[in-house]
Amino acid sequence: MKKMRRWVALCMAAALVSSVTACSSGTSASSGGAASATASAAPASAAAGGAAGGKKLVVGMTLYSLKNEFTVRLSNAAKKEAAKLGNVDLKIYDGNYDPNTQLNQVETMISDGVNAVILNPQDAKACAACVDKAAAANIPVIGVNTRVDSDKLTSYVGSQDVYGGELEMQAIADKIGGKGNIVVLDGPLGQSAQLERSEGIRNVLKKYPNIKILAEKTANWSRSEGMSVMENWLQSFDKVDAIVGENDEMALGALQACKGKNLKIPVIGIDGITDGLNAVENGDMIATIFQDAAAQGSKALDVAVAKAKGEKVEKNYWIDFEKVTKDNVAEYKKRAQ
Amino acid sequence: MEKLEKNGRRADVRQFGMEFATVVGLIVLILVFTVLKPKFLDVDNIFNLLRQASINGLLALGMTFVVLTGGIDLSVGSIVGAAGIFAALTAQNHQLPWIVPVLVGLGIGLVLGSVNGVVVSLLKVPAFIATLGMLSIARGITYLATDAQPVPGLSDSFLVIGGGNVGVVPIPVLILIAGIVLCYFLLYRLKYGRYVFGVGGNENAARISGINVKYIIWSVYMLSGVLAGLAGVVLTSRVSSGLAQAGQSYELDAIASVVIGGTSLAGGRGRLWGTVVGVLIIAVLNNGLDMLAVSSYWQLIIKGTVIVVAVIVDSLNNNE
Repeated sequence: MKKMRRWVALCMAAALVSSVTACSSGTSASSGGAASATASAAPASAAAGGAAGGKKLVVGMTLYSLKNEFTVRLSNAAKKEAAKLGNVDLKIYDGNYDPNTQLNQVETMISDGVNAVILNPQDAKACAACVDKAAAANIPVIGVNTRVDSDKLTSYVGSQDVYGGELEMQAIADKIGGKGNIVVLDGPLGQSAQLERSEGIRNVLKKYPNIKILAEKTANWSRSEGMSVMENWLQSFDKVDAIVGENDEMALGALQACKGKNLKIPVIGIDGITDGLNAVENGDMIATIFQDAAAQGSKALDVAVAKAKGEKVEKNYWIDFEKVTKDNVAEYKKRAQ
Repeated sequence: MEKLEKNGRRADVRQFGMEFATVVGLIVLILVFTVLKPKFLDVDNIFNLLRQASINGLLALGMTFVVLTGGIDLSVGSIVGAAGIFAALTAQNHQLPWIVPVLVGLGIGLVLGSVNGVVVSLLKVPAFIATLGMLSIARGITYLATDAQPVPGLSDSFLVIGGGNVGVVPIPVLILIAGIVLCYFLLYRLKYGRYVFGVGGNENAARISGINVKYIIWSVYMLSGVLAGLAGVVLTSRVSSGLAQAGQSYELDAIASVVIGGTSLAGGRGRLWGTVVGVLIIAVLNNGLDMLAVSSYWQLIIKGTVIVVAVIVDSLNNNE
């Protein structure tokens, strides 16, 4: 009985404390019943206030990870652009490769009263929930770098992944003379970059019936996973003529595996991260397809701010992929600061 | 019998001291975050926080029972993934009412949890190893079931579970409350609860006094599995897609919640609502640090520190 009483008392105390403090927090318009309705009123009026000038705009950005070079470049570019524009408060969140975490973060952003959300989703379908939540609160969502399956998305800033896949497959096809056995390292299954780059690779392969894919597996954008997968493939296949990595990290991992066996196999990646550019420079990779993270990040912020101010924005902003070979790598090394 | 009673009472006082510390800790955290960010206590943020806590909450409830018997369940994250995937596969059939995928998810949790229970209680494999093995096995099953592809296109009625509200209260929060009530009854209202404490406190004494120790141990892992299955269902419904990597590392927060709440990893001591406080502390930390836009790298350090400090306090209590 004593346990029960203590239990009930504490629950009531907690309920009392939270209701008292919730009622007394005067800043937000929300109260008791109509929580979601009034929550949507608050950011809309904040946005209008921003357009009137002077008031700081708040933008929340969630990336599927902040633990790899490419996404860190994306977020740094957005931060730099926000600092340049001046009256923008940018908050950055690490989604930890988990769509549920990203959903939690978007909900937190909405409570926080952001004027716009920038979304770099882990999964094209699972993160649609993030867009729905923000749209329900009348907050614009700008997708960046990787797609999300939602027609409620305000705008998308990115590179044409299908084209990127085509560029890299074509480079390999040219290198091996249109025939041979290749292996492909995929990004996380279900992320739009993986889906679309794979599509691009297949588009090009239609032209080359003599190129066979021995194996294709996801290495989740990770260098260490790419290395393990490649080591296993080198064990099981007699001859691999080329390696197509859907990003530099995995390609570099595969490269390590080959070096471990003293093999020199043509490798290609996408992104143009520092190590990738170095590998192209010293001939380890035949090329890489540069993805301009800096341009994507700063453009996404620009679009978010513009929309928050009530300006009209386009549905898509495309930033080109650029092929980097030994000839032009020096220029890219300078750019990718 | 008498010895058991005396131990129980002494443990009571120690426990009270521990819980008091954690509740004070929770209130301090809430106050700090509110001062730094008044929006923290907005009603919609409170509901966000509770909704975000619901998945870890269900895992921590199950974990409490397991830890009370002196065991540990490292596989709950993978069970979340496995249950979620099979629930999603079922929910792709829009003709089936929502209860079917839910039962499938719970069923998977029940089966995997039972396997854990058998391996620990009958085959005498240490819980750490047994559940570590299940962590891998369950994750492997999940990837096999879908070839690592996501499972989208779930029925609308199923999606209500994770995304819907009853009035203003999110359904996942109601599910968590239901879980707390259920576990309260199991632990404090039925003889079963006493047996769980008894087995954790002194397994030999429990066996001698007639408690079916093997059955109790098997049952707590089964309960942990079922609750993890439920968490998997809620998670999948929330993100509206079955993901093979869902739930990865979720066991860490669950264990942290239980330990912070004052349940001793040695077994036999602890309180259910200590776990609830622990769950709230983790949720407040996650939500509050996000509200303050603290860098994710710092968040990892802060969370780890809080957990270690809690364990130190726990061991100090133990040695008194």
